[in-house]
Parts: sequence; C-alpha cells; structure tokens
Amino acid sequence: MKKTVDVSIPLGPMHPCWKEPVRLKCETAGERVLHTEVELGYMKKGIERIMRGRPWQEVMFLAERVCGICSVVHNMVFIEAMELISDIAVPPRAACLRVVANELDRIASHLIANFSYCYTIEHETLAMYLLNTRETVLDNLERLTGSRINTAYMIPGGVRFDLLPEDAATMLADLAKVEEELKRYVRIFETGPLIGLRSRGIGYMSREDAIRAHTVGPTARASGVEDCDLRLRHPTYRALGFEQVTRTEGDNFARVMLRFQEVFQSIDLIRKCVDTLPAGHIRGGGLCRAGEVSYSGEAPRGELTYTIKTDDFGRVLDIAIRTPSIMNIEACAHYMVVNATSIADVTSTFISSDPCIACNER
Amino acid sequence: MRSIVYYVREFLRPEWLKKFFFVKTAPLVTPPYFKGYPTLTGKDCTGCFTCMMICPAPDAIAVLRRKEQWEPEVYPGHCIRCGLCVEACPEGVLASGRVTDLARRDATAFWHSFHLEVDESLCMRCGNCCVSCPINRQIDPQLAGTGTSTSDEVIMRVSSGRVRILHEEKCTGCKTCETQCPSGAIRVARMVEGVQFLDGVES
Repeated sequence: MKKTVDVSIPLGPMHPCWKEPVRLKCETAGERVLHTEVELGYMKKGIERIMRGRPWQEVMFLAERVCGICSVVHNMVFIEAMELISDIAVPPRAACLRVVANELDRIASHLIANFSYCYTIEHETLAMYLLNTRETVLDNLERLTGSRINTAYMIPGGVRFDLLPEDAATMLADLAKVEEELKRYVRIFETGPLIGLRSRGIGYMSREDAIRAHTVGPTARASGVEDCDLRLRHPTYRALGFEQVTRTEGDNFARVMLRFQEVFQSIDLIRKCVDTLPAGHIRGGGLCRAGEVSYSGEAPRGELTYTIKTDDFGRVLDIAIRTPSIMNIEACAHYMVVNATSIADVTSTFISSDPCIACNER
Repeated sequence: MRSIVYYVREFLRPEWLKKFFFVKTAPLVTPPYFKGYPTLTGKDCTGCFTCMMICPAPDAIAVLRRKEQWEPEVYPGHCIRCGLCVEACPEGVLASGRVTDLARRDATAFWHSFHLEVDESLCMRCGNCCVSCPINRQIDPQLAGTGTSTSDEVIMRVSSGRVRILHEEKCTGCKTCETQCPSGAIRVARMVEGVQFLDGVES
C-alpha cells in the first residue's frame, strides 16, 4: 500500500480483539482513520486441494473443518450439492432435522459473533453472558448429533441420527430458557447508554454501498438489502414460512441487533420443526454419481457456495468453495471504516461485520 | 456511611458466606450422548474391515490379528471421533456414545461397493499392494510368506510386468494397498450409501 500519511498503524495479525489472525493497515491522521486495507493469508490450509480425489464420506469431514464456528452449514451445503449432482431425494423428516441442526449452529455462531462485538467494545459482562448461553445451545447440538462443533450430521440422502422424543422435549425447554435469557441481554444491549455511544451511528454503510460491495448475510441485511437470504429459496425453509429479517440503520448497532433478531427467529424455526416433525425415514439411500454443480446455501455469515465436480464413483474431482466473509471483510475495510473518528472504532466495526478468517483462507 | 452498611449487610448474608467459602462447581461428567473414541465391546471381530473402509481419517483405525482373533485398534491421535466405524460395523464390536443404540433403534446402516483402479503411468510394479492386502494374504498364504503368488484367486497380482486385478468383488475397501503404495498409483473407489430399514422394508 502506498503510504500517503505520516503514521500507518497495523492492527494484527495478533490482536486481542481478533479471534483469528488478520492484519488491518490503518492510515491515520491523529486519532482519525482515513483509509484501511486488509491483509489476509496468515492461516491458509489448502483444504480444497486435500479434498480432491476423495469420496463424500471423507470430504464431508474436511468441509466442516473449513470453519470452526459455522461447521454444520458447510456440511449441509456440501451434502446438498452432492445430492443435487446425484439426484438423491431427502425424506421429509431428515430435511426437518437438518434445519434443526443448522439453526442450532446458527444460534451458536450468532451468539459468538455478538460475544466478540461486546468483548471488543469492552462490555465483558454481556460478552460472558452470551458465551454462557451459547453453551446451552451447543449442549443441545451435542444431544442431537453427538458432537458440539464438528458434527458430521448430514449424509447424502438423509441424516445420521434421529431426534429422540425425550431429547426434543429437553431441547424445547432449553430453548425457552435461552429465549428468556436473551431477551434480558437484548434489553441490556438496546438500552445501554455506553453501548449506544460505541455502536449507534458507528461504521455506517448505506444500502447502495452494501450492494456495490456485494455484501452478504447479516451485514447486508442490516443495511436494508432485501431478498438476500438464501433460506428464502431453500424448499424446507420455504415450507416453514421463513421470512427475512431486515434493518435499515446500517451501523454496528444494527448488525448486532439483527443477529439477535435472527437468533429469536431461529428459535422459532426450531420450535416449528420439532412440533411438526413428520414421521418416517431419516435416510433414503442413494449413491453419489458423476456430475458438476454449483450450489449455494445461507451460512450464518451469508451466502456460501460450493462448486463441485465428481467422477463416476462419487469422488470429488474438483472443488471450489466461496465463503461469505470475503465480501464482508472488503466491504468493512472500504465502506464502513472510511474516515472513522477513532482507531477504537475500527476494531469494533471490523468485528461487527463478523469476519471469519478460517473460512476465507480455507 | 450508608454504602458501607449496605456492603456489610450484603456480604454478611449466610448464603453469600457459604457460597464464598464452600463454592463448588458441578463435577464434570461425560454425558451419555457424547461420541468419544471408539472402545471395544468384547464382541468377536470377524475381520471384515468395514471400519477401516469407512474411516475418513488417515491411519486412525487398524484391524489387527491377535492370537487367532481379529481385533480393531483405534489410534486416538488420528481418530476424529466421527463414529462412522461404530455405525458401520455389522457385528457391534465398537462402541461410542449412543451411536450403536441409535443405529439399532432406527435400523440404519451403510451399504458399500468398491472399485479398484491402477494408474499405469504411476505404477512401478513393485507389488507392495498385492503383498500388503490382508485379503490376498488370507487367500494365498504363500504370498504372505514369500511375496510371490501363483494363485488366481487373489484380488490382484503382478504378472507379466503389470498389476492385474483378478477379483475386484473380494475387495473389502480397507485402503491398505492405497497407504502402502509408494507412488499413489492404486486407488480404491469406495461408494458408500446410508440406508435405513424400517418395518422390514428398505427405504
């Protein structure tokens, strides 16, 4: 980057506010930040290269290890892409259970994103409250799948385990508790005067900028971009009557509040799924075949795309993953923190766009 | 003054003092639904190598011959605790969390078929695959002892300077040849399908 000012301050790659290594180079004039550039490339894994030549039962595990926070949706999008290639139908009960696992994962991911934001603006009490609530959600994910994070729950043609009736009752009771706790936390966040000073009007991105920067997921929805949630196009979600949450403020406060709203929406979706869980099979069978497809699904951070090419025996010949954070990180650097009043706002704005570096660099 | 009184009253409450001096976190217990490293249930292993076939992690499980009996061994550093081997084992030799119970309750299973292929441009004709193959060694004890074979019943054999695949249907997909091949020439395509039998009818 060409240096145009006297002081260029690097944030990261190791920074107390970052969950993962990334460097932000800030050009400053006094306390004011004029311009920011993102530098990635500290944790490249080369996971797409490792996936090549392997069958689904191995790639499934590699796919969910792309991201440690939203691993279920990577599994889901990969498996649904394989089903699209091979024309495998999913039994309705399995489709509903997939939504349950995916929404539990989304709640956990949104809670950790909001935890990071609260931690970055030094509201550690609320941050720790949110992490504590996340544990309850992960316990339920473990009860359903046997693992907290890397669940490997979905396979072509269905899911691996059924939801037992007693587990479903525990899950609903736990979710009611989570909802009650979260209502209190949201009130703390909404009405906290210091939180308001650090969040409202900071890191503003207009709707036009959000569209120009190709932002996806909660970052785009908080700026008022309509029809950008891919769950609107997913058949199971459509059957559940899913509607997108949109906010118009476009600042840090809106992004965090939007994630809180989506958590409540996810809880409602899980309730609807568990209450109307159709009886029947959880696995339909079906072998993976040759083909090529590009398939997208809605990850907690936005649109996640898998482009897969397979051979006659269902092995992955070529695979490309596009994760949502890459657009959001660039949008954050070039639209949200332009002419920020303080360097402290750069960290909080960056974290409010929920960057996932592990996803980005794969 | 008033705040001092408040704090003294706040901290002299018996329950607060009790909590302060005798606080205990709940003991850590492993929940029954937790998928741990697979353990042996004590049932007899038949040496069908299904667990090795389905395992997604390299070198995480090996079925070994121990005193006239087969026995799977799990290497915890390599195992990712996915539970696929537990679910796939037809004999119920392995156990991990509730995986076996759930698979029995829902009558779920994995079906598989295999296809062997050798890339002629990479193969060095060293014969490592033929010698290391556990099925080959069972079929032809001479191959296990001396490294040469004349039997036509083996899965694959080096003859006239090429690896010839004679009986693909005998392959159990254990990937031993793949891991033993120095040049990555032999590949086992393992096609796996998750199925469920409900009310005696396959889905």
